[in-house]
Amino acid sequence: MRAYIPVARATYMIGLVYRFGFLFNILGNLVYLGVAYYLWKSIYRYSDTIRGLTFNETFIYVALGSAIFILLKTYADWIMHFEIREGAIATYLTKPIDYQIYALFANFGAMLMNLTAITVPTALVMLFVFKVHFPSGLGLVLFPISLLLAFLISFSIDYFVGLFAFYSESVWGLSITKEIIVTVFSGALIPLPFFPDAMQRVLLWLPFQAIYHTPLMMITRPNQGLDIFLSMILVQLIWAILLFLLARLFYNQAIKVLRIAGG
Amino acid sequence: MQSLADYIRLYFIIEAQYIKARMQYRADFIVSSIGMFFSSLATLGVFWVILKSVPDLAGWSLMEMIFIYAFYMIAISPMQILFDHAWNIRFHVREGTFLKYYFRPLNMMFYYMSEMFDLKGLTQLFVGIALLIYASVQLDIDWTPLRIILLLITLFSAALVQISIIVAASCAAFWVVDSYPVLGLAWKLREFSPYPMTIFDGPFRFVFTFVIPIGFVAFYPSQLFLRPEEVSPLVYFSPLVGVGLFAITYWIWTKGVNSYSGTGS
Repeated sequence: MRAYIPVARATYMIGLVYRFGFLFNILGNLVYLGVAYYLWKSIYRYSDTIRGLTFNETFIYVALGSAIFILLKTYADWIMHFEIREGAIATYLTKPIDYQIYALFANFGAMLMNLTAITVPTALVMLFVFKVHFPSGLGLVLFPISLLLAFLISFSIDYFVGLFAFYSESVWGLSITKEIIVTVFSGALIPLPFFPDAMQRVLLWLPFQAIYHTPLMMITRPNQGLDIFLSMILVQLIWAILLFLLARLFYNQAIKVLRIAGG
Repeated sequence: MQSLADYIRLYFIIEAQYIKARMQYRADFIVSSIGMFFSSLATLGVFWVILKSVPDLAGWSLMEMIFIYAFYMIAISPMQILFDHAWNIRFHVREGTFLKYYFRPLNMMFYYMSEMFDLKGLTQLFVGIALLIYASVQLDIDWTPLRIILLLITLFSAALVQISIIVAASCAAFWVVDSYPVLGLAWKLREFSPYPMTIFDGPFRFVFTFVIPIGFVAFYPSQLFLRPEEVSPLVYFSPLVGVGLFAITYWIWTKGVNSYSGTGS
């Protein structure tokens, strides 16, 4: 494990180079916060609670969702497409490292960079500009654990899709389709409780809700029993392990078809 | 200097070759088109889910939102299909390969943008047209010849607004090389153009109407067909907004192209 920590450190440092990029990222996020604020304000024009959520709860859910979206969107698949297509993956195969763990740590470093550069500033803006009132409770304490598990799940899905680059050059469509499915069905765009009931029941059985809906509910509704939170974390843990192993299995198959042109 | 007819003829010759080359990768075309299909409908999905819980969005019904969204999908298609090469300016600038565009007796923007024709963008265009027809039928819109001409004019103008925003953002590459963050922001703003502008107030509505006028990509022009009796005089300026914005963008492009000095190798 020790060998991989410098990898995370390196990607964190790479992030520092792109300060100009972060400025625009924060700006984009602020605009999104504003748009979301007005959109939901107009939706809550007639009633105080819709589908069991107040305006304040919905806004926390949506706004914080956009802030952690930047953390959990790993770009692992885009990077892998590039590394596999260009043959750069060969440099990892010749070293005594595990590619999946390597990719995990590389993305973890980038995630920490985004946490300090984008998510924290966005949360501060929510607090001081939009004057959002965050309720307190047990959920806040468990939120970091839930977020970490969400990162693992998100990474495994991205990594899994990234492995398709071994088979095909056309990965843009796959990655975009995956991104849309994850963002829409995870609650990243609209809180899950807003979906029609039948759809909600299906969505709760899919891994996507464990990425955004679970951690966001811990902040939105932190005053629930420990047993409820533990069962939420347990579901995340099961998905994290399952998807990680599934991706590993897929890698063992996919690596067999790899051919790299010499040079 | 060629005439407009020459340029159009040339464009068809270039794109015919490009499409032939792309068709070598048929699976890529199919998978990308599916991806485009889902990604272009995501925001409409948001409106659909919201309107399952509340009766209207700032006074606009689901069917009206579908019309606005369809208008938006058609209006952004020319940018997607014809100007997709804008995303690559930063690579060409960084690698120095942008120099080759200076050495042809052609308009540089034409020559540069003609190098790519985004086939998957056609999916978005066709879905947009289908949705526009569907919503028009459901809403009983009376398509008189005058209205159809008005639709074509407003769509042309809206397309120019969207093209201008993206091309202007991509021109940042000439000064800062990595224009991706600027383009990313412009891309994100694009998604807000089908929102009813009436939900915003204060600085947001001002910016979306007068500074980065994404309101003119879909919402304002759609009003001419949905609620012609409520239209604010502002909407009649929409053809001017498109042409004016494109003129500004072309000026930025020319500035950028003239200031670029290559990589020196």
